[in-house]
Amino acid sequence: MSTPLIETIHASKIFEVRKGLLGVKKHIRAVDDISLNIGENEIVALVGESGCGKSTLGRLMLALLKPDEGQVKFRGEDVWSLRGEEFREFRRNAQLIPQDPYSTLNPMKKVISALYPQLLKYKIASNRSEARKMSAELLEMVGLSPPEDFLNRYPCRLSGGQMQRISIARALSVNPSFIVADEAVSMLDASLRIEILDILLNLRKKFSTAYLFITHDLAIARYFAAGERIAIMYLGNIVEVGDTEEVIQNPMHPYTKALIMSVPVPDPKLAKERGLPPLRSLEIPSLVDLPSGCKFHTRCPYAEKICEEKTPELREVKNRLVACHLY
Amino acid sequence: MNWILKRGLLAILTIYIVVTITFFLVRLMPGNVVDMLVITYMRDYGMSREDAYAMVKLLLDIEPSKPIWQQYLDYIWSLLHGDFGRTMSSGGTIPVMQPIVAALPWTIFILSLSTTISFLLGVGLGMLMAYRRGGLFDTGASTFASIVYAVPNYIMALFLLFALAIQIPAFPPRGSYDVSITPGFNLPFISSVLYHAFLPMMTYVITSMGGWMLAMRSNTIRVLGEDYVIAAEARGLKDRRVAMTYVGRNAILPLFTTLAINLGYMFGGSVLIETYFGYSGIGMVMGLAMSYRDYPLIQGTFIILVTAVIVSNFIADLLYGKLDPRVKLGE
Amino acid sequence: MERKTNRSIVRIILSVARAWIYEPLTLLATDKRAVAGFIIVLFYVGLAVIGPMVVPLNLTPNLESAYLPPSLEHPLGTDPWGRDIFAQLVHGAPDMLIVAFLAGLITVLVGTVVGIFSGYSGGTVDLIVMTITDIVLTIPGFPLLMVIAAFLIGSGIEVNIFMAAALLSITSWAGLARSVRSQILSIKREPYIEVSQTLGLGKLHIIFSEIMPNILPYIVMNLILSMIGALYSYVGLMALGLLPYRPGNWGAMMHMAMAVSGTVTGVGSWYVLAPAAAVTILQIGLVLFSNGIDKIFNPRLREK
Repeated sequence: MSTPLIETIHASKIFEVRKGLLGVKKHIRAVDDISLNIGENEIVALVGESGCGKSTLGRLMLALLKPDEGQVKFRGEDVWSLRGEEFREFRRNAQLIPQDPYSTLNPMKKVISALYPQLLKYKIASNRSEARKMSAELLEMVGLSPPEDFLNRYPCRLSGGQMQRISIARALSVNPSFIVADEAVSMLDASLRIEILDILLNLRKKFSTAYLFITHDLAIARYFAAGERIAIMYLGNIVEVGDTEEVIQNPMHPYTKALIMSVPVPDPKLAKERGLPPLRSLEIPSLVDLPSGCKFHTRCPYAEKICEEKTPELREVKNRLVACHLY
Repeated sequence: MNWILKRGLLAILTIYIVVTITFFLVRLMPGNVVDMLVITYMRDYGMSREDAYAMVKLLLDIEPSKPIWQQYLDYIWSLLHGDFGRTMSSGGTIPVMQPIVAALPWTIFILSLSTTISFLLGVGLGMLMAYRRGGLFDTGASTFASIVYAVPNYIMALFLLFALAIQIPAFPPRGSYDVSITPGFNLPFISSVLYHAFLPMMTYVITSMGGWMLAMRSNTIRVLGEDYVIAAEARGLKDRRVAMTYVGRNAILPLFTTLAINLGYMFGGSVLIETYFGYSGIGMVMGLAMSYRDYPLIQGTFIILVTAVIVSNFIADLLYGKLDPRVKLGE
Repeated sequence: MERKTNRSIVRIILSVARAWIYEPLTLLATDKRAVAGFIIVLFYVGLAVIGPMVVPLNLTPNLESAYLPPSLEHPLGTDPWGRDIFAQLVHGAPDMLIVAFLAGLITVLVGTVVGIFSGYSGGTVDLIVMTITDIVLTIPGFPLLMVIAAFLIGSGIEVNIFMAAALLSITSWAGLARSVRSQILSIKREPYIEVSQTLGLGKLHIIFSEIMPNILPYIVMNLILSMIGALYSYVGLMALGLLPYRPGNWGAMMHMAMAVSGTVTGVGSWYVLAPAAAVTILQIGLVLFSNGIDKIFNPRLREK
């Protein structure tokens, strides 16, 4: 197997929380011993409920956060040991598309200012007029036409969908090999989502970009990562990784099963037939007070004594990675 | 609990720093201040250089022979005992605390009354302006508020003095009470006090209310747009109730922090205002001290004045802490 | 070739003039009070610039013409020494405006630098700097100024315009520092800042190109407000006689007026009321003008 593009090796990120000046210090393991790799030009959808640590993992991969344990590697090199030119090269190759379209652009600056500074910095354009031309081309690529209409506008005069497209154009402007899309369509109207996802997929073909596609919506993940991989995350751990369609049709981990069963079905008859997801408890444990052993054991219908005592490792089972004592 | 402790410590630290600043103020310009005073004493009182020097040393509480840290400790020690030295203009006979203690209550009386009145008026009008936003009342009141906010309070004192005490002698131009009446808890005295206090209070009230009006207006407008207010109205709660408990409470809260700044502004202006009105409060004492270059008295009034502001600030913080549930829960 | 360059220079000048003069003025014009404020301030600036050249100042005492009421020859009357009050006001105007503006500038510079430094550094540095700022904020500024000025004048130290301006800013920077810092803290977390980091745009770019435009409205607003505060303190200190006398200085005139005859009583009232009114009108102009400034610098407000 060739060197993965981005790789985390037993990476953890721990946040300290303290109540008041004299309170007790608590530790939150937002990301707990995660080893995940993404190959060149590959899509990995990262799915999980709010607060499970997906965004934190994304930021670790972008080196916006430093891991407290473990490593983050880019094409085989530890990112945090890179210096100077090499680090700049990594930076150019790892971009972010944030969640909220309304705060993704600087409200006090024109649209064009989101695109040209990096073009000049990385010498993709050699002067301002060339940068301006390229910015216009980028806007065309994301479906904002005619681009001259948009270049000089301020974000307050744009719709959510338009701003998110500019956000995509911005991420692609430096031709990165890796993009983290953090809930990139979650705050858009449902009708827009497929359109934006299609733009991302088309441009991926053109620029050969790998994606870490973070979302809480299984249906979106299924669409975007079709034919690629999906990873399920729960309370800081990855519990299952595999081919998207296979995981969704044949989930192995109990949490994955519950997640899939929780997706609302429009047909009330079918929904009634299906029944409730098999969970012992609907309460998600707080990140500050984690259960021992397997973090899911408090809700898992198949839990046994070993699940309380020992944390299951992510092991390869039949072409999939699962972290469960059942396998 | 935590939060009160922090604010309390900060208050004490601030007072301490002010006290230290005053200490070094005299000593950082020692050569000139001391020398000029020595010359003055030699000239005005015909003293010899040694006597004049000894006099100045006594009055300013300086012992240049002692090491400075020792002087500093002596200084702090005597302050804690309420010994602020003796006034120079009395030739060292009257302790500094004496005129201060006599004058302070008058200023506190006027300022606390004025603050309360201007706050209530300002906040009430501000809310009204917000509810009638864009209308004639709002535009007029906003303009009025901006104008009185802009006028320096000591200049307003001059204008009021001129208009209402001289041109139309409706109010007395000087004094804190009619000296022919014996002080005491009797009606003639109290009414005389109020009569003489009216113009100074009007000065403070008019110049302070503008700020309150505008701040309350913008806060209220902001709160009126918040979801929980719209939800309350949608639930069918009576307008008055919504206004008082939901809107009013949330809009007022941030204003408490400006109470302290406003108090500082009033104390600051009090020097000129009380001088112009001949009102025997601590401001006038400080003014006189400065015109006579009575340094111990200047120091003393300054420390007491600043302490008064800091303490009031702290009380305002406590009030705010009681009213804002986010603070109560110990953020 | 040359004609082309000339044309593009003209185009640049026109576009700059449009963005910086025409557009702001049209935006300002929507708020009538702001326009009034702007006109007042402009009037004072004009007075300060042209006035001293046009209006002659004669400071030699002429006791025969003391306390004259306003007339064609003396538009605001004469002072206790028979000198024209209006001329004194006009000649004092540049001093007032320069000191107020300088003090405002120093306040804003110090406040912004401290705020950005503290907000961007975060952690312990932020805690220390903010505690100091809080302390400075609690100390009432004008009383402190009075005491310092009293000691300065007693020690015979020469106080020039720059020293006076710096002195006037001694506590006023704290308010802006605090608000700039909290702005920085909230902006730091915005997604577009994160993306600036992934784009590798560098700390300097982030501070000056991304963050600054967002806090510029506060800074400009605060410049005007600081000028208002500085004017208050400057005139106040002069009125107490705590700063060295400058002829024509409005506060000094007020001080002289009260010292000489308790002038508010009828006869000499012009001598004290004229400078008082001059200060007041300028303050009103500044306040009204500041209300309109926000609109110019905040594109979000323009949509209203």
